[in-house]
Amino acid sequence: MSKKRILIVEDEAALVDMLKLRLEASGYATLTAYDGIEALAKAKKEKPDLIILDLMLPKIDGYKVCRMLKFDEKYKNIPIIIFTARAQESDKKIGKDVGADAYITKPFEPQTLLTKIKELLEGK
Amino acid sequence: MACKGSGVQSPSAPPKLNLYALKKSHRKIPAIRKNQTENYRLLQDLMDHVPDVIYFKDLKGRLLLVNKAHAKGLGLRPEQVAGKSDFDFFPEERAEMMAKDDQRVFKSGKPIIDKIERATRADGIDNYVSTTKIPRFDAKGRVIGLIGITRDITKRMQIARVSEEEKVLKKRLESLEELNRLKSEFISVVSHELRTPLAIVKEGVNLIYEGLAGGISEKQKKLLSQARENIERLKKLIDDLLDLSRIEAGRVKLSYSLVNLSDLLRNSAEFFQKQARDKEITLKYDLPRERINIFLDGERINQVVSNLISNAIKFTEEGGRVTVELQALENKIRIGVIDTGIGIAKHDIPKLFSRFTQLSKDTGTARKGMGLGLSIAKELVELHGGEIWAESKPGVGSKFYFTIPRYYSIRVLDEFVRRKVNELLTQGLKMHLINFLFIDYKEFVRHLKVKPTDLFSALRAIIEAALGKLLPKPERRRPYIHTDASKGECSIILPEITEKSALKVCALLKAGLDRYLTNNKFANAFIAMGLLSYTHKIRLKERARIPARVFVKEMYVGSEMRKHRRINYKATVEIICGNKQEESRTIDISEGGICFSAKCPLKTDAVIKTKLKIAKDKILHLKGRVAWVREEQKDFYRMGLQFLSVNPKTKKALSRFIRAISRARSG
Repeated sequence: MSKKRILIVEDEAALVDMLKLRLEASGYATLTAYDGIEALAKAKKEKPDLIILDLMLPKIDGYKVCRMLKFDEKYKNIPIIIFTARAQESDKKIGKDVGADAYITKPFEPQTLLTKIKELLEGK
Repeated sequence: MACKGSGVQSPSAPPKLNLYALKKSHRKIPAIRKNQTENYRLLQDLMDHVPDVIYFKDLKGRLLLVNKAHAKGLGLRPEQVAGKSDFDFFPEERAEMMAKDDQRVFKSGKPIIDKIERATRADGIDNYVSTTKIPRFDAKGRVIGLIGITRDITKRMQIARVSEEEKVLKKRLESLEELNRLKSEFISVVSHELRTPLAIVKEGVNLIYEGLAGGISEKQKKLLSQARENIERLKKLIDDLLDLSRIEAGRVKLSYSLVNLSDLLRNSAEFFQKQARDKEITLKYDLPRERINIFLDGERINQVVSNLISNAIKFTEEGGRVTVELQALENKIRIGVIDTGIGIAKHDIPKLFSRFTQLSKDTGTARKGMGLGLSIAKELVELHGGEIWAESKPGVGSKFYFTIPRYYSIRVLDEFVRRKVNELLTQGLKMHLINFLFIDYKEFVRHLKVKPTDLFSALRAIIEAALGKLLPKPERRRPYIHTDASKGECSIILPEITEKSALKVCALLKAGLDRYLTNNKFANAFIAMGLLSYTHKIRLKERARIPARVFVKEMYVGSEMRKHRRINYKATVEIICGNKQEESRTIDISEGGICFSAKCPLKTDAVIKTKLKIAKDKILHLKGRVAWVREEQKDFYRMGLQFLSVNPKTKKALSRFIRAISRARSG
């Protein structure tokens, strides 16, 4: 069975590299995007199996990206994990409102992230 | 020419008074003369009764005419003043100033209006006066003197000053609030900014530690392990800092739901059992059998409990013991975390719940610092309306306690009702909950001639009849009735009705139940009924004593049950503890206990003897246990005492007393 593809959307290059390392070590293929516009383009073109989405992005922020994908028939089934330093209840609520499937705060527990990814991919 | 009987005095000696007006008028016809008399009377009244100081001066500054107020101010009579000048009454400096003003008026022919002057009285108090001087002219327009009016405006000035002060204070308050807001925002932005780099460091270290970036040596692993520990420490500090700043800024909203406390405590247990085992510490949970459901923010209280347990484990040595206990007090529940750890020095205890406490270093042990956990715990507990305090003995151990108000009736709610209440709350509905239960149900059922299920069906019918009478039909407001014939309990959830209506329902129910039980000759039925309200909206800024403003309004069917009605009363209570004796004025008295203030805190759970003076010759001896302690100010503590086995005679006297006082107050 082919590898599942995960799109990493994050503007901190160091974090992208680390996530790539982590995810590939766990058997996933990865794609990357460093801003909101690139994120939308890649998501639509590549149709990844899951998206890890940072919120503080240049050009278009993560919330907008999430909303746009979730409100589009063609892409709404791609699970999106919001990945952010904002940890407030209010932020989590907004995450829910824009249709995110999960919310992981930075700094994160690698295991928590991997388990969540697995859950969402299997849930499909 | 003197006017008989008037208060207007003219000098008997020269200079001559120019009584132009008077002379002229006397040449006029009697009718006008009469008018003049009228006018004199008016003028007389003016001069006699107006509190302002009024005077007439000539060009030489001599007082021609003064009113009563003027003379009185000098402690003289008007006739003693006329003919004299300011220099006869005031210190030279002052009189010269006044003369200067006079001269200005004379020379310019222009008045001085509302000049404000300050004079310091002999007693040091400042008096402020407003002076007005108006020139007088003759027919040819030459200045011949002046009229002076002086008014005391000390009060006006005081008010103005106060309002100025108020304005200043208000401005200062505003800028402080702004500062506070900026501080919160700053902390919020900063913690967010700190998290991202920390996330990078953490993941970087983890990847290496886990070998995902190549093999590492044991030595490297060890170093990384320490790094990992401290990354966690840093993370916690940032989280706590943010949490605390939000709580302080009033931006934390408690999210209330009905929570089973034993469940809450046991949930945290699992996580900590592992930590405890690693250190070979025994972690024990001392929970009561009864189900205790309390309306609170489960997540936040969990945070508090976790903080206390983790501290206890942290500061207890291997082989030690940590106990978590839950106690139901009269109006509160109390959770305690007791350890056999290294303890805390007496002088450090007051500082425990303040931020960034650096405890005394002389304990010698390597410490990891307390951080913010306890101050967050304090904020969260107090947001709930509870108290948090600690007792400790170095080398022996520490005890941390906190209370949560328990607006709830003695028995517990069924799981179903609890879920329903929470469900409605998440929909944003507020509700009232009527609970009633049979006291000593088992006993009651034994003497029943019908099946309990039949009894409860009948009761249901009564309930529905009562509800039908009062409540509207709309879907959202449908009441939910839950009965449990096996336990003798019944709960009725009434969404979105006013307290007034809820009370009406209670009254109808009470009447219905009463009738039913009497008609069916259920002689020994004791039903306790309680009413509670639940609302999701909590205005935290006011730190009101919580959302469920309940106070169980108990109504009884059948014979009256012993109940803890509470009054607020200033009586003297003597507290005898060991060989210490303290007197205190009580604050709250109920049949269950008293709540009072004292200069030194008593030990939690200590048994105290008290003498409560309820009348001139009546002193009640009551023994009680210290249930909770709160530091109100430095060295001033408020404590709750729960009575233990009160003897019937005393109990009767006490309840009679309480009833009398509450009746007197409500009547």
